[in-house]
Amino acid sequence: MNDPAEQAGIDPIHRLTILAAALPGAAVRQRRIAAPFEAVWRVIADLEHSTPRYEPGVTRVQLTHRQGQRLHVIVTHSDGHEEPATATLRPGWCLMQSATAVVAFAAIPAGRQTLLAHLEHRRGPAPAPGHSRSRQRRAALTKIEQELRTIERLVTQT
Amino acid sequence: MTAAQQGDALALDQLLGELAPYVHRLCKRVAPEVADDATQEALLAVFRGLPSLQAPEAIITWVRAISVRKAVRLARRAGREATAQPPTEPRAPSLEGLVDIGDALGRLPPAQRAVLVLRTCEGLSEHEIAATLGISAGTVKSRLHRARAAFRKVWDS
Repeated sequence: MNDPAEQAGIDPIHRLTILAAALPGAAVRQRRIAAPFEAVWRVIADLEHSTPRYEPGVTRVQLTHRQGQRLHVIVTHSDGHEEPATATLRPGWCLMQSATAVVAFAAIPAGRQTLLAHLEHRRGPAPAPGHSRSRQRRAALTKIEQELRTIERLVTQT
Repeated sequence: MTAAQQGDALALDQLLGELAPYVHRLCKRVAPEVADDATQEALLAVFRGLPSLQAPEAIITWVRAISVRKAVRLARRAGREATAQPPTEPRAPSLEGLVDIGDALGRLPPAQRAVLVLRTCEGLSEHEIAATLGISAGTVKSRLHRARAAFRKVWDS
């Protein structure tokens, strides 16, 4: 553990919560996965193979460049368009950002299980307060809850 | 800072890595018993307010104010306004006396600890301390006087 924030007592789950505070409208959910941390993170960290299996809007992730914790990828969406994204990836922390979205995962061991948190945030101007915004938020939360369940299946079935 | 304020998550993540050690150091000095909770709450407040921070060049001043106020508030809530009980076993003195200084500081009430830390560790003037804590300069003066007296008493005991 040589991340400065972790040395200051901020574990990855806390980090995700703090990050979300600066991203208005970000959807965050967490789930206790019945698997050891290493098994969970092996799935999360494999961006190329895992992402299309749990993210319904993505058909391909191609790693183009890696330098230490910094990765550059090309994300192919289900409508065919491609989008570059930059990610920070290290054990327990994955933060990926493109022009249109922020996706993050944070994980900490919890005994023999793992606490896994997931964030998604649509970039760009926030929708005006009202029925539409709360509907979008509910849809985002439902989506990431489903993704966490899918990830749990991927982890426990391997 | 501009990128972070505009919602660039990677910039925000980098900023968090830079601010967290400073916030933790402050919270640990002002409220050692609740330092981790104070650090988390302070950083939450900082990042929540970041998009609307008007003077990004003054971020450290702003972060310091939030951190110290949170630390004092949490320490009070934890019921540690009264001076802590002295340890029953005498501590072995360290070569540089660092453990002794921390111990002496830790025995002060949080409000006194805060003004002493801001004066001696952060080098703030009485007016700057007043602005940081949201109290009058007169209150800072009297708290500093009491804090120094209390610290000397603990240190000499």
